[in-house]
Amino acid sequence: WKKDEFRNCNQTPFCKRARSRKPAPSSLIATHVSLSDGELVAKITNRRDDQIKPLILSLSAYQDGILRLKIDEDPSSIPPPPKKRFEVPDVVVPEFASKKLWLQKLDTKTLDGDSSPSSIVYLNEEYDAVLRHEPFEIYVRDKSSGKRVISLNSHGLFDFEQLKHKKPKSDQEEEKHDHDQYQDDDQDHDQEQVKEEKDEDEDWAERFRSHTDSRPYGPQSISFDVSFYGADFVYGIPERATSFALKPTRGPGLEDHSEPYRLFNLDVFEYVHDAPFGLYGSIPFMISHGKSHGTSGFFWLNAAEMQIDVLTAGWDADSGISLPSDRSRIDTLWMSEAGIVDAFFFVGPKPKDVVRQYTSVTGTPAMPQLFATAYHQCRWNYRDEEDVENVDAKFDENNIPYDVLWLDIEHTDGKRYFTWDRAMFPHPEEMQNKLAAKGRHMVTIVDPHTKRDDGYFLHKEATQKGYYVKDANGNDFDGWCWPGSSSYPDTLNPEIRSWWADRFSYENYVGSTPSLYIWNDMNEPSVFNGPELTMPRDALHYGGVEHRELHNVYGYYFHMATADGLQKRGNGKDRPFVLSRAIFAGSQRHGAIWTGDNTAEWEHLRVSVPMILSLGLTGISFSGADVGGFFGNPEPELLVRWYQVGAFYPFFRAHAHHDTKRREPWLFGERNTELIRDAIHVRYMLLPYFYTLFREANTSGVPVVRPLWMEFPSEEATFNNDEAFMVGNSILVQGIYTERVKHASVYLPGKQSWYDLRTGTTYKGGMTHKLDISEDSIPAFQRAGTIIPRKDRFRRSSTQMVNDPYTLVIALNSSQAAEGELYVDDGKSFDFKNGAYIHRRFVFADGKLTSVNLAPTSPGNSRFSTSSVVERIILLGNASGPKRAHIESTNLNVDIELGPLWLQRGRGSGVVTIRKPGVRIADDWTIKIL
Amino acid sequence: SSSPLKHPLLGIAPEDEKYYKTSSDWIKCKDGSKKFSKTQLNDDFCDCPDGTDEPGTSACPLGKFYCRNSGHTPLFLYSSRVNDGICDCCDGSDEYDGKVKCPNTCWEAGKVARDKLKKKIATYQEGVTLRKQDVEQAKLSLAKDEAELLKLKDEEKILKVLVEQLKERKDEIEKAEEKERLRKEKEEKERKEAEEKANQEKSKTEKEANQGTSEAEEKTNNEEKPIESMHVDDIGTLEDSSADQDVVTENDESEAEVEYSDDSGNEGSLVDGVEQHAAEAKEESAVIPETVHDSESKGSDASEKTEGLSKEELGRLVASRWTGENAEKQTEEVDAANDKDHGGHEEMHKATHDEEDDGYASETDDDNQRYEDEDMEDEVDEDFREEDHYDSGSYKSDSDAEPDLSDITTPSNPSWLEKIQKTVQNVLRAVNIFQTPVNQTEAASVRKEYDDSSAKLSKLQSRISSLSQKLKQDFGPDKEFYSFYDRCFESKQNKYVYKVCPYKQASQEESHTTTRLGRWDKFEDSYRVMMFSNGDKCWNGPDRSLKVRLRCGLKNEVADVDEPSRCEYVALLSTPALCLEEKLKELQHKLELMNKEQPQSHDEL
Repeated sequence: WKKDEFRNCNQTPFCKRARSRKPAPSSLIATHVSLSDGELVAKITNRRDDQIKPLILSLSAYQDGILRLKIDEDPSSIPPPPKKRFEVPDVVVPEFASKKLWLQKLDTKTLDGDSSPSSIVYLNEEYDAVLRHEPFEIYVRDKSSGKRVISLNSHGLFDFEQLKHKKPKSDQEEEKHDHDQYQDDDQDHDQEQVKEEKDEDEDWAERFRSHTDSRPYGPQSISFDVSFYGADFVYGIPERATSFALKPTRGPGLEDHSEPYRLFNLDVFEYVHDAPFGLYGSIPFMISHGKSHGTSGFFWLNAAEMQIDVLTAGWDADSGISLPSDRSRIDTLWMSEAGIVDAFFFVGPKPKDVVRQYTSVTGTPAMPQLFATAYHQCRWNYRDEEDVENVDAKFDENNIPYDVLWLDIEHTDGKRYFTWDRAMFPHPEEMQNKLAAKGRHMVTIVDPHTKRDDGYFLHKEATQKGYYVKDANGNDFDGWCWPGSSSYPDTLNPEIRSWWADRFSYENYVGSTPSLYIWNDMNEPSVFNGPELTMPRDALHYGGVEHRELHNVYGYYFHMATADGLQKRGNGKDRPFVLSRAIFAGSQRHGAIWTGDNTAEWEHLRVSVPMILSLGLTGISFSGADVGGFFGNPEPELLVRWYQVGAFYPFFRAHAHHDTKRREPWLFGERNTELIRDAIHVRYMLLPYFYTLFREANTSGVPVVRPLWMEFPSEEATFNNDEAFMVGNSILVQGIYTERVKHASVYLPGKQSWYDLRTGTTYKGGMTHKLDISEDSIPAFQRAGTIIPRKDRFRRSSTQMVNDPYTLVIALNSSQAAEGELYVDDGKSFDFKNGAYIHRRFVFADGKLTSVNLAPTSPGNSRFSTSSVVERIILLGNASGPKRAHIESTNLNVDIELGPLWLQRGRGSGVVTIRKPGVRIADDWTIKIL
Repeated sequence: SSSPLKHPLLGIAPEDEKYYKTSSDWIKCKDGSKKFSKTQLNDDFCDCPDGTDEPGTSACPLGKFYCRNSGHTPLFLYSSRVNDGICDCCDGSDEYDGKVKCPNTCWEAGKVARDKLKKKIATYQEGVTLRKQDVEQAKLSLAKDEAELLKLKDEEKILKVLVEQLKERKDEIEKAEEKERLRKEKEEKERKEAEEKANQEKSKTEKEANQGTSEAEEKTNNEEKPIESMHVDDIGTLEDSSADQDVVTENDESEAEVEYSDDSGNEGSLVDGVEQHAAEAKEESAVIPETVHDSESKGSDASEKTEGLSKEELGRLVASRWTGENAEKQTEEVDAANDKDHGGHEEMHKATHDEEDDGYASETDDDNQRYEDEDMEDEVDEDFREEDHYDSGSYKSDSDAEPDLSDITTPSNPSWLEKIQKTVQNVLRAVNIFQTPVNQTEAASVRKEYDDSSAKLSKLQSRISSLSQKLKQDFGPDKEFYSFYDRCFESKQNKYVYKVCPYKQASQEESHTTTRLGRWDKFEDSYRVMMFSNGDKCWNGPDRSLKVRLRCGLKNEVADVDEPSRCEYVALLSTPALCLEEKLKELQHKLELMNKEQPQSHDEL
């Protein structure tokens, strides 16, 4: 990691300015408050300076406890702003508009303890939102108690730099004086500093290293403070490699004030495992969780560079501000270089509520194809067709299943995407078809940097059509990436997205077949010779949008266009699979993401878990880290541990840099091959469970992999535990992150007990257990009271498992009851949207297991069915020692015997097993234990 | 879903059927863990953890399915392949649930396989004969080598005595000369000066003593003490041998190319030198910002440096962090700067991508050896014009890798030693050391004789050492790899020539660049693999290594050199040495079995 190559806050004028301001009562007031189009509108003015143009504000409420706040320049002001500020399109899902609540009347009154009136906006039965007029402040509160949940500008740090016309040099001096319009006068000292800063002519240009940013509209940043009440910790705002619960960055009690959390999509070479520094993606969504309120969230839809401080208690001690709350509170400072305020407040109060609320704005994760939820084998690079064939054959030889083989950049003809290096890959279709015959898929990489080569069809067409991002002078932007001199399609433009999508048709992408899917890398975008290895901020996009305004969402549009392409390719019948590195809020709708170029070190294995938890919490459910670590050579022990954890990542892919030694699973001796095979088998065994969880995420936004507190919201011991995680609501996994470990302490939450996933051994909940650790596996447990569907036969790939029979593992709780779900569809198409799926609920109570239908049964929907049966039912924690089971539908009795919990590790001790009940998974049935 | 099995014993090998056909109603799991009833055999539910009860279904993860494949070869499949929709057995018996139809292809496939097997057998048959011949030849040659070694050791003893005598005489002469010189000086100079001279004389004597023993390891010595030995030459014997002059040039050469540290010995010194060189190059390139990926580069000066770069240079520089390619371009510049004499290198660096600095270093290495060899041959030409010891006609002798010392002594001409003995005796007799001043002609002849004899001695010792070195090698259980010694096998692939020299090293050559893929390490996998390891270092990767798989073939030929993992090469070498009789029998047996299966119908199951 090259620290000096990236800007820190001090080198970033807007960040430095915002950070240097001190909290104080705001000089801003809300005026002209009224209702319009079912929402509250108002103007924000500075009571100390009437020269400053007012801003317009709107507050709207949406179903399920969501408040939306917008603040922008007033287009009707005189003179009008030089241009419209960028509002991020295509991130808020269209359905969200229909959830708007039409406000009927304006409720304005002076609340207790205030000296000025406030306007109150209805949110739901329990919560409302308050706009305090003077000083300007917005908060969400609990109606009955009046207690605050989230507030904005309680510390008076709101600032909004308005766009200016670039004037001739001589006029610039004057301009400077009326610039800091939304700062408070009593911040004299800091203001001095800020002024000094500006004297360096930085209004109109900004330099970083050898790059100059022309900044034609002057500074245009926005900043404000947000407070979370009843919060013990805040989480979210990925992507970065650091702890899950966000450590404070500033305030008393911190020895070293750190950098703020940065949200700026960058290709960071060899990133370090613990830093607030932002990586490849940006999701400006923060979640707070605490014992007293529960969970709440704040999302700022803004794609410019953002910096966020998490402040320690007492940072505002000198401000004279005392917020009306005796509960724990976490204050944060949000700063963005450009854009508008378009912010969403989510009231919770349960963790899953916040996630549902957030994904109702940005969309729920796409439903992946079944194959994509299985194991992926990748390397930079599988060199040629022979290499591909050998690797594929070796998986079979070693009886290790895998579903997807990946080709990195070297498969192309000179890094020209959509082409093949014909010397290495003379028969791409045949190669794909060979794998497809075994039910396997391939993925090729397609990056946005397009080689500037007149003989390259893609470049020719993009140039002719004017589809590239432009530089500040209006010429096609020319930057350096893998192919050398490159340009970048401007996928902000829907027309260009549509054109890009068409590149993926079988006709246009020569050598592609229906079993080929896509990987988008370098879409931050990575520009090797650009400032901070990315595109200059003054580059221009469709509609005159400056790159600074949309930087963080560039990769999102590229990902979106690619996913659209795959959908178009299959005539809308085949679910796309596109892996992206760059992300923004809403990327979950387009495909999977991975955490980029990590390193083969234990600490990188450890940090992969909080990274995936943060992504899941902010909507990106389908994520994973490169198993084994991208850079460097993992010791076999690390590799094995990584597979053991990775088998539970939502996205499970091994990947490696081309300088590393080969590390396919069979290359480390028989024992390690066995251990890795075992880890991969665990994933395949649990595929029915995973697929059900993917569907849950698809319908509710609740991520596949969750923090413990999402399932146990009131257990404080779990709030900052990021070594363990939940897979769904039934499995708890604790990674092993150090070498040669013999013991590990694992906290098992809740009142119910837990069953070791492999042995069935019972552990009490609500306490920490010191466990013996072997190389065989990492600690993993099934929660009492749950039922997990499995498929225990290992095939070459998930494709061959489709008709295999199920095993149901019932982990009984203290009242001898349990329940679970299973979702099944065709694994490929969108027919599930029309009801073509099986969704069962299994309930075990009173000695009876019942399977009931959860899917709608209305006629006219398309249907999906399967002849798969249940071959085995395992009862964990059964006290009675039953001998037989009675199947009510067929009126047959079947044997109950003691069997192994895991077939391939079938060691002596037995668990109660119902042998061959033979019921169809798609049917309703009841089985009574006799 | 389970489908009725066509046959209760499906998936069981014929030799295993009796295990299942017991009279009892219960069958034991083979691992002894449980037993199961006959109705549970192949009932699509796994009862035995080891899969004993489900040979014909996919129910047990550890099960194996047997397909008979009449007309071809029987096969055991992982049970996971049963009814998975993919035809694995050529008789189609693994897919019986009706979801796919698998045609029986055993007959055709079997024929192809049999033909292939027949061909292989033919190769083996011929190969086995060749191998026998080689083994015989190897045994003879080895005996010869051993005999020669014994003889050489005897000769060494005699020659050592002679050299000792000559040295004594030489020392006496020099002492006498010195005495006389001192006496003369005394007359002219002060005593203090004279004492100094005495000291100098003392040190000179020591040096010469060193020289005597160390010539056996010419290379080492030359590298170790280039300056000193030149110095000695200056003061001492002016009419020195050509060998010493070569030493001087060689030193010049090596100094220009590689800055050796002088504390390492022998071959090792080359390696160390190279590594040090590489390390230096790296250090230097690290100073240039951002070339070598260095997570702790210093902020300010790094940014200053990149500002001087053009946009394209910056782009390349950053790309190189991931690829390493450009960083080597930097290294190349450093090399070029260090090494202005070698105009050819620049071009060579451009030609390859990753191997520059390594390739460069190993060329240096080769050069050194070549000088040494030429040097050796020159001398050999002067003194011994005898027939070659080795029958190099049939072998491709690799003179670059190892000096050919064969001509120093020849068993067929034992008289050379006697000749020397006689000459020495004459010389010794002739010189009258008590005569003052010493007769210059006589003194010179003693010196010359001493130099000649000790040079011969060192060559003799060098030959002894190389012969012992050779005899120490592992030539395989039947000495079948004896002929690989002193041989190299080449394979040209695209722009590269791969050179595999067993017991020595393996390299990859491209025009003027040589990259060492590895030094000889050992045989592995019961003499089926030759390992070369610790080759030139890879940028950001491991040391290069080469694994040569051996297979039976009629000629010694390298083929299919590949780099499956970065800097880890594999190659295939066919050789009669691998054509083992047991294996031939095995193959013949296999063919018999296949032929036996042929006439049977394949629909039996």
